[in-house]
Amino acid sequence: MISVGLDAGSATTKAVLIKDGRKITQTIRPTAFDFISAAEIAYQEVLDHAGIGKKDVDHVYATGYGRNSIQFADKAISEITTHAKGVYHLYPEVNGIIDIGGQDSKVISVNDGKVTDFLMNDKCAAGTGKFLEYTARALEVPIDDLGSLAFDSETPASITSMCTVFAESEVISLRTRGFTKQDIAAGIIESIARRVAVMARQLELKQNVAFVGGVAKNTAIKSALEKELGISLYVPAEPQITGALGAALYNSN
Amino acid sequence: MLILIRKRLNMHKIPMLFDKMHCFKSLENLKSAYIERIHQVSDERRSGKKSVGTFCLFVPDEIIFAAGADRMILCGGKNDTISIAEQYLPRNICPLVKSSFGSIVNDGCSGVKSCSHFSMVDMIVAENTCDSKKKMYELLDNYVPTYVIDLPQRPDTPEALKYFVTELDKFRDAMEQLTGNKVTNERLRQEIISSNETRKLLHSLYELRKRDPSPISGVDMLKILQKQYFLSPGELKEHLRMLISEVESVEPEGAHRPRIMISGCPMPGGNTKVPEIIEDKGGVIVVEESCTGTRSFWDMVDEDKEPMLALAERYIEIPCSCMSPNDRRIDNILELARDFKVDGVVYYTLQFCHGYNIEKYKVQQALKKAGIPMLFVETDYSNSDVEQIGLRVDAFMEMLS
Ligand code: SF4
Ligand code: SF4
Repeated sequence: MISVGLDAGSATTKAVLIKDGRKITQTIRPTAFDFISAAEIAYQEVLDHAGIGKKDVDHVYATGYGRNSIQFADKAISEITTHAKGVYHLYPEVNGIIDIGGQDSKVISVNDGKVTDFLMNDKCAAGTGKFLEYTARALEVPIDDLGSLAFDSETPASITSMCTVFAESEVISLRTRGFTKQDIAAGIIESIARRVAVMARQLELKQNVAFVGGVAKNTAIKSALEKELGISLYVPAEPQITGALGAALYNSN
Repeated sequence: MLILIRKRLNMHKIPMLFDKMHCFKSLENLKSAYIERIHQVSDERRSGKKSVGTFCLFVPDEIIFAAGADRMILCGGKNDTISIAEQYLPRNICPLVKSSFGSIVNDGCSGVKSCSHFSMVDMIVAENTCDSKKKMYELLDNYVPTYVIDLPQRPDTPEALKYFVTELDKFRDAMEQLTGNKVTNERLRQEIISSNETRKLLHSLYELRKRDPSPISGVDMLKILQKQYFLSPGELKEHLRMLISEVESVEPEGAHRPRIMISGCPMPGGNTKVPEIIEDKGGVIVVEESCTGTRSFWDMVDEDKEPMLALAERYIEIPCSCMSPNDRRIDNILELARDFKVDGVVYYTLQFCHGYNIEKYKVQQALKKAGIPMLFVETDYSNSDVEQIGLRVDAFMEMLS
């Protein structure tokens, strides 16, 4: 049986093609303005990679922010459920998931791949990729350099604003007070880790926790989160595709 | 707007629960009830009858009616009037307070229309409950004479009850003064019996919702609950009786849907966002632990006791989060969850309602212990978070099924 999972995220669109429960291929591409065409292209891409025609695909499942707009999918599933499924496939022992994406962050409690509880932050940018984007801009460094800068800090600055807009001005005020880029970068990373850790503690995630989503590629955030929670986190090789993978696996048990 | 939300949420193949479902005639009739009621109250006022506006369950209807006055609820559920209120009130208070205040002080200059009933009261009967309302009432008095009933905030002591009785006595005097009518014990007893009848009717309606599948949707149910304090008691009872007989004869079909309890802040008329989303996503609301729900009718007033004492005893026990401690509410939630066989609870709060937002923790702990999943949704009256709430509710439904 062949099925494809499409994760129509706000920043990137992901597709995973599986055959008989095993991943064959995947793709990640920018969503840009049009969710639907991004999904169509991603779909075509995995078909091409796998050398498979549309008619051979048994199921297409959609997840992610734009899940309801993808009319050619058999079903739309929330990204909370699909992340749980995808992560379970990779690490069956996991009972907690932290997902930091561009627009939101989620903390999910799981048991045998089934969601038992979850928390989301999406009304406010603090604790999301957006927070990194804005504060990196205020620091005038590319977002990808934040991590390596932070690793060089010995005395991280403290960023206390809960609100991204204020945090941005806080960063600027730290700059005028002579803090180094390294220390401010470390402060930014600690701040986001602290916010997300509060959510993880609310769900009592204590061990076997996976860290997924685009921000999981940032190793500085991973280690800040690990320090904050006092555990080590599982990070898949491709932390962005667990949603699409879980969607593709929706029907298999 | 709601159609738009529907469209947005339903683009996918979510089977609609009440698609083929009964369209209740008695609810259709409610549509014309608003305008009829407006005519009725303006006729009454022309002939000298007084009408008062209320905001809260703690104000006993029985005393108002026994004084020969009429009453209408002034709790705002409309988003449009919030910007008017924000000229006077801080932005970061609950939308219900802002919407109500905006609807009352609206002079029409900004092009927003308030519903007619907001300008049809001779006096407002307020109550000292949450801070936002308390302080808002002080300002409201500049526009409409506002009488405030004080409430003891630790309801479980004998002193509190005694104090509440004196407060209700003073309120009775104020009503007598407003109307020029004497509030006799005899009149009070009649009104208590009448209000208990309404409560019993609501109980019978809720009893029917214990069936699985439930014969009536939560969104439909809300249509009548939101009119509960707007209609005259007589009309309300008539609508309830009609609805009950219709619902009784419905044979609901279809598979089991997750049975949801909504628990938390009131959902005044105009604000049906969260229930709409829950039912569009495949759940069915079977009970509301809310002031637009069980809190309004669950307990009866003792018909045999001295009426003012009986009223005080009943009303002081309303499990509102402005009371402390309020463990009665937790017990009630657990009992309702059991009786209505709920699969999950959506804990619904309005932004900046500190009482219900803080009480969430206790409720969550209690539900966890009882093995009942809970989803927390904090929102306002705008439609900006429809997608986000939709995602949470989707995930919650997937979790429950
Ligand atoms: S929630 Fe409390 S304050 Fe608000 S209407 Fe209900 S009883 Fe009154
Ligand atoms: S919802 Fe909360 S804050 Fe708003 S009026 Fe009611 S008790 Fe007060």
